[in-house]
Amino acid sequence: MTLDPWVVLDNWPLFLEGAWLTVRIAAAAFVGGLILGTVIAALHSTPVALVRWLVVVYLAVMRGVPFIIILFLVHFGLPFLGLRVPALATGVIALTLFASAYYAEVIRATALALPRGQWESARAIGMSPWEAARYVIGPQILAPAIPPITNYTMTMIKESSVLSAITVGELTYQGLIVQGNTFAPFEVFFAVAGIYWIITAGFARAARLLENRQRGAVPEGITGQGIAARYLSLEAARR
Amino acid sequence: MTFKPDFFLASLGDVLPAALINLQLALLAFLLAVAGGTALTLVRALKIRPVNWVIGVVISFIRGTPLMIQIFLFFYALPAAGIDLGPMTAGVLAIAFNSAVFITEIQRGSLAAIDPGQIEAAIALGLGSRPIWGRVVLPQLFRRILPMLVSEATVVIKGTALLSIITVVEMMRVAQRVGSANFSPFEPMVAAALGFLAINLVLSAAAQRLERRYASQRA
Amino acid sequence: MTHDPPPALRVQGLTLRYGSVRALDELYFDVAPGEVVALVGPSGCGKTSLLRCLTWLQQPTGGLIEIAGAPLGQERLPSGAIRRQSRRHIDRLRHRIGLVFQSLNLWPHLTARENVELPQRVVLGRSRTDARVRADAILDRLRVLELAEKVPGQLSGGQKQRVAIARALAMDPALMLFDEPTSSLDAELIQEVLSVLRGLAESGTTMLVVTHEIGFARHVAHRLLFMDQGRIVADGPPAQVIDHDPHPRVREFFDTVLAFRA
Repeated sequence: MTLDPWVVLDNWPLFLEGAWLTVRIAAAAFVGGLILGTVIAALHSTPVALVRWLVVVYLAVMRGVPFIIILFLVHFGLPFLGLRVPALATGVIALTLFASAYYAEVIRATALALPRGQWESARAIGMSPWEAARYVIGPQILAPAIPPITNYTMTMIKESSVLSAITVGELTYQGLIVQGNTFAPFEVFFAVAGIYWIITAGFARAARLLENRQRGAVPEGITGQGIAARYLSLEAARR
Repeated sequence: MTFKPDFFLASLGDVLPAALINLQLALLAFLLAVAGGTALTLVRALKIRPVNWVIGVVISFIRGTPLMIQIFLFFYALPAAGIDLGPMTAGVLAIAFNSAVFITEIQRGSLAAIDPGQIEAAIALGLGSRPIWGRVVLPQLFRRILPMLVSEATVVIKGTALLSIITVVEMMRVAQRVGSANFSPFEPMVAAALGFLAINLVLSAAAQRLERRYASQRA
Repeated sequence: MTHDPPPALRVQGLTLRYGSVRALDELYFDVAPGEVVALVGPSGCGKTSLLRCLTWLQQPTGGLIEIAGAPLGQERLPSGAIRRQSRRHIDRLRHRIGLVFQSLNLWPHLTARENVELPQRVVLGRSRTDARVRADAILDRLRVLELAEKVPGQLSGGQKQRVAIARALAMDPALMLFDEPTSSLDAELIQEVLSVLRGLAESGTTMLVVTHEIGFARHVAHRLLFMDQGRIVADGPPAQVIDHDPHPRVREFFDTVLAFRA
């Protein structure tokens, strides 16, 4: 077998177009998923039992059913609601629903861990609720939420490849088109995989930068940098 | 368009039996993944620089690319390299390979949580590295990662639905067939969704019971 | 040449250096069979390093170790050259020394009995029945047989301590090493563990015990080694060293400890 790099290079506009669409779809589902996820997380703790029950069912369905089936359910189901939407919109809606379930779990877990005493002390010192959220609570809950959000977002970006099944012209779809034209699956799919790798790795890198910036908010352990550690090493040196 | 309950019930009868195919494929892929992931963990523990570098790149590649593309690589690309696997074999191998990488990463995380003192105790008593892995480290490791292994099993089961795209006749594919034969694709798709949901709910309930039994047995 | 049995432990010129720091500085001593030796010294004097070297968990920089006449880790060839033993060889000899860790390090996924059985079966090749009989006998002797089915997480500190002792004892070691066996225990448990050690001593078990318990050192040990800055600075009958040894570091240590108690 010989590898033919020209298969990939000749079709670069298609790959680029697909990659760009993948990025835009993922960005839309990221924003939409975070908003919807926040709403769902809030509904999860309403006093209305029926609403809570519906949220539980929603989360179980989104997490227990393969994304490809969720996609087709949305694809075939929207017409029941009298909606005729293009494939791209269908795909973004399905991906948003999918992401929202995972984001909702993270947001809920983070909110449950919210330090109550911190909130009260910020309010007692005279901060407005907004200021308390902005300067005291936010930085503390943001840092631990970043890694799981990043993980689920990477999963979501990868799942977006399934949108090719309903002819959304994203990266995987373009790859299948090129593969159909050239019959060079090895080159094509490795190229497609490589582009996904760049997108997900780039996203992970960006998330890590953000996480490092938030690191200052993580409480210091006794052995971390700081006065406790200096005292401890002073003690050790005296022995 | 309206939802046709009669047709939905009829399609349940067509779609659900195909769940057995998904279960078989998933079981095979998962067993291969546990074996492969554990093997990767053991090899990585040998700390051979170039080997670990290669494994690291492969892990990053598998984690950073869609399962669907990996399935395409096994199904379309391997035949081009002279290795022709049927859709089922290619699909199971792709899912197993993907999952092995996630399992070895789970294991690495939990390995760090095992107290090194226990291993020192084993060394001091004269146990060699094989019994240390086999009797001391791995049994604890698997107990610790059990909940994460179960959620990985869920991922594997959901992954089998993607094999419909490479013509494996499983629940999703059957639902598509029934749908297009009757010009009503929605109802059978709901049936397939319920099938997957039921499997995963049973799985997580079983995992919870298992965990509780461990918790009460060995506090 | 004599026909006396070889010492349970012989240490010749044992040295451990980290860069320019001498954690162990040319130690020479023997422990006779049946002897109970207390190893005392201030924190950081090298006691734990010594125990780790004696079990070859830490490879010493130099010196020779013999367990009941058998060299461990390195051996002197007839030519006089020193040869490093293979890892397998070292693994096979390690069971001759029973180390009870300060942190005990029981295996949390196994029951107390399984903790005692496993190394017997794997290292000594004992049958399931033999290992079990031996495990139960020792657990019974240490009065924890009724806890044999429990896992470490269900045991108290003192109970775990006994299981850890049983695990080491079941290997029939020539020498038992204890790393501060009472340091992590509550006051009432200390007496309990000390009485276990006293029982072992009375039954003729050879022991080297790192301890801060002056009472134990005085009343149970036959001999006291005092370490300071990687060296043995006093070696003799416990009462003699505790009350009368003239070395300034020894005096400083015991005067502080005794003043504190009085």
